Amino acid sequence: MLRPLLIAALLAFATPPLALAQDAAAPSDTPAASEQVLDDTTPETPATLGPLQAILQEHQKDVAKASRRTVDEVIAAVREAGLPQGLTFLERWGDRELWQREEDGLFFFTKKAEGQNLTLIDIDTGEEVGTVSKRDMTNLKPNSGVRTVIASSLVASQLEDPDPARRRQALEAIERRAEKDHLEPLRASIETETDPVIKARKERLLRVITISFGQTTENRVEAIRSFSQDLSIDARAALNPLVVTRIGYSEGEPEGVNVARILTPGRTIGREEAYALLVNDDKAIAARTRAERKAALEANIEEGKVGGVPVSELSSQEARDRAYSNLVDEGKAPPFVTDETMDAELAKYTFYEAYADSNTEVTTAAAETLDSIDQYVGLNRFFSLVLDGLSLASIYFLAAIGLAITFGVMGVINMAHGEFIMIGAYTGYVVQQIIPNYTVSILVALPLAFVIAAAAGIALERLVIRHLASRPLETLLATFGVSIALQQIAKNVFGTQARPLTSPSWLDGAWVINDVVAVSYIRIAIFVLAIIFFALLLFVLNKTRLGLEVRAVTQNPRMASSMGINPDRINMLTFGLGSGIAGIAGVAIGLFAKVTSELGQAYIVQSFMTVVVGGVGNIWGTLAGATMIGFLQKVIEFFNPSNTLAAQTYMIIFIIIFIQFRPKGIIALKGRAAGD
Amino acid sequence: MKNTFLARHPSVIVFILILAVITLLATVFSEAYGTGLLPTNYVKILGKTLCLCLIAIAMDLVWGYCGILSLGHFAFFGLGGYMIGMWLMYARTEDIVIASMTNAALPPTPDEVRDAIGTQIFGVVGGSDVPLVWTFAHSLPIQLALVVLVPGLLALVFGWLAFRSRVTGVYLSILTQAMTLALSLYLFQNDSGLRGNNGLSGLQNIPGLTDMPQSVLSIWFMWGSALALGVGYVFAAWMVSGKFGNVVKAIRDDEARIRFLGYSVEAYKLFIFTITAVIAAIAGAIYYPQAGIVNPAEIAPIASIYLAVWVAIGGRGRLYGAVIGAALVSLLSSWFTGGQAPDVPLGFYTIKWVDWWQVLLGLSFVLVTLFAPRGIAGMFDRLVRKDAA
Repeated sequence: MLRPLLIAALLAFATPPLALAQDAAAPSDTPAASEQVLDDTTPETPATLGPLQAILQEHQKDVAKASRRTVDEVIAAVREAGLPQGLTFLERWGDRELWQREEDGLFFFTKKAEGQNLTLIDIDTGEEVGTVSKRDMTNLKPNSGVRTVIASSLVASQLEDPDPARRRQALEAIERRAEKDHLEPLRASIETETDPVIKARKERLLRVITISFGQTTENRVEAIRSFSQDLSIDARAALNPLVVTRIGYSEGEPEGVNVARILTPGRTIGREEAYALLVNDDKAIAARTRAERKAALEANIEEGKVGGVPVSELSSQEARDRAYSNLVDEGKAPPFVTDETMDAELAKYTFYEAYADSNTEVTTAAAETLDSIDQYVGLNRFFSLVLDGLSLASIYFLAAIGLAITFGVMGVINMAHGEFIMIGAYTGYVVQQIIPNYTVSILVALPLAFVIAAAAGIALERLVIRHLASRPLETLLATFGVSIALQQIAKNVFGTQARPLTSPSWLDGAWVINDVVAVSYIRIAIFVLAIIFFALLLFVLNKTRLGLEVRAVTQNPRMASSMGINPDRINMLTFGLGSGIAGIAGVAIGLFAKVTSELGQAYIVQSFMTVVVGGVGNIWGTLAGATMIGFLQKVIEFFNPSNTLAAQTYMIIFIIIFIQFRPKGIIALKGRAAGD
Repeated sequence: MKNTFLARHPSVIVFILILAVITLLATVFSEAYGTGLLPTNYVKILGKTLCLCLIAIAMDLVWGYCGILSLGHFAFFGLGGYMIGMWLMYARTEDIVIASMTNAALPPTPDEVRDAIGTQIFGVVGGSDVPLVWTFAHSLPIQLALVVLVPGLLALVFGWLAFRSRVTGVYLSILTQAMTLALSLYLFQNDSGLRGNNGLSGLQNIPGLTDMPQSVLSIWFMWGSALALGVGYVFAAWMVSGKFGNVVKAIRDDEARIRFLGYSVEAYKLFIFTITAVIAAIAGAIYYPQAGIVNPAEIAPIASIYLAVWVAIGGRGRLYGAVIGAALVSLLSSWFTGGQAPDVPLGFYTIKWVDWWQVLLGLSFVLVTLFAPRGIAGMFDRLVRKDAA
């Protein structure tokens, strides 16, 4: 019983100005209700209407067919009455729980009764007043715009609701549609707020609405300045309207306006644009555009001549201008504004940009704060760019490291490397078809992709590459043959449409650092994967017997061979290792890109670039190459975000030039090992 | 001199004769001048194939004779097509625009014509101005010069950069592929001024020859292609036969030794690279008016790799090998992917060649590289000339 009372008190508190202002217009607020004739079987119209019902009947049409334009009036009327039941009514109306009886247009709440019937509840007293068939009633469902307005009118009372969910709802309503009336209730409610999260949110919201509705300039400026390090959209949304400008002009110095800056025609404002402003206010004669002049010429063709000039001569602009000026002289066309007259007219006025808000302190503070937010956003963007670059670099690293190893050891470029990436991705897809649990399937797919891609790589090495030793260019072409065959086989088996590789749910979403910087978990996982493989390869190559032999073969296969190392075996193993890592990269890439038969193609050129830029036969080189290319691509995209094609073009050109200065890559083998 | 040259190279005469016979036969059976046995479509395919043979000769020069595996020559081919396509498209649009403006009340000014052409050509990419690269598109002589100059300059600059820093072998292949990719990505943009991925279209309509039916045009173009191929073949044969040719081949076989002998290896390479780029561009300029459309997809790196495949299958280091490879593979390719090849039912599975041709091509390519490194021409050599080196 306590709650309605409290709400009523708040409602009254929140609306004194309205209630006072229209005191006289208030409808009969001496309720003579509560003497309703109750009949359980046949609902009768009560002899006298309840006070709220009476008000609503006055606005019957606006309640039944509420629109955003009319709803304010209804709400005002209900609140003026100051009835405790008014608040319940608004809440339930907004929740689409209001019904109208079709025969007399009265409003009721309802309760489900037996069958298709509804139990009517009087909106004033809350008592059950009868049962009717659902067919005789209409459920009123105000649209979302109307509901927003209703919710916003209710927030003041909901802000101190004991239920935290309702308080949060009230805050959301304010965020969607703030009003001057919200300021005081919100401020008052912060004191008694117990939930620290909601409290912080209320305090922030208070600052946001103080920007627009603060009572004194100092309050507003203080609120504005408090957002200078704030990245959220709503802060900028609250500030931006303050710095909206319009273009105006005046004779002499502009007066009575809050000037943002003075505009110079031809420089900061287009001459035509400025002139059009004058024309709009009838301060100048409209300039005739070329098309309009042409139309005037066409309209005045007389006996094959216009203004005395034969039509056949009018194939140059100069002749047309001559004909037009003849027409003007004859008074058949409006005068043509020359550039000189236009300049002379423009010189009479001062053009300026003025803030819509006349309060200089507020607009200055808002402009400065927005600047500082922009700077802060820029800083965060840069940080975000670094993270993006890192993420891309780790993808390129995974895609290219296998290529770099095989290239380093055997001196051959494996054009089918991209297809090993594709094999890995399709392995992941097939495993997911068999194992429905995404976490398990990824854990199975990673090693399986390694094994399958490695097997394919070893088969390629034994069947093709081994027989083409010392003919690197032909290896390149033979592996290209393998590449197009594998690609087409994948297309025939899996079809051309993209196959999804779904990541487990714990990889969904992103690590949101603030409103600007966010990294998806998948990218973090790929980064971790790249780090793991980097460390693993470093360990294998530098600390194991296999690594020693691989390095020996890389440097000098014949010498290694005479030291008892079997280069064929080493070649096979490194090829398997490189291909296997490509398979793993395939699973990783498949997680964020769709799996198609062209998946490998998309990464192969970047992988080549990474190897070439990084330098051959060195994991650090590949790391450097991948980092450089990843960052480079992101930086170029940053400067030209709308055009990723251009970004790639520039990147490739940059790489071609880079090769000029370091033909053997960033980290080149030195001495005899460099060989040729 | 010419007599001795031809006497030393009987294959040139044989080639020219075969080429002339094929062209004459095609004319005799054509719809325009002969019995009509050969549909115009096939004449066009023949003409296009001759152009592909010409670029294959260029590829053979640069790869088979000089040992530079360029994966970028199709880019020059495409660029040549773009250069001639700009004139074809501009001039034809100009004709259409002027024709549509003759009924206007006032005769059009040059500016109006240019604006209308711009809207007509670039409306599809949301533009209406004629971009800067089209400055000379109205002039056939200038665009013809650009067919040679633009790809030639690109090859010169790129080659100078690459050879100067001694980028060789696989590195160079990757670098040329990167160049091709960069070019095709650039052309894919709508604001590159060359109509983005729409490319240039309607090139089969030759301005000023609008009354000539396609059947006649196709024969003319086929003769043009045959002439270009013949001249290209003789030129290439002449180039690789003399002392220059010996140096070029020696660079392929041992670059360091030639350098130590005092030859400027870079200059030779640059010359071969540039001259073959120009040949490729000329081939492209004849090819695309027959194809009717040129777009960035034609320049994609894969096309250049296919070019290498043709030459390798045909046989590197032999000019007729390149021609055989290009003709055979490209004709087979269009036969298989055109859906004319009969499907092979295996009972449990039907092999549709549209789907499996790529696999066959890829695998046969591996097999040729492994077992017949000299390609078809190599086998030919072994059969015909026992003294083949």
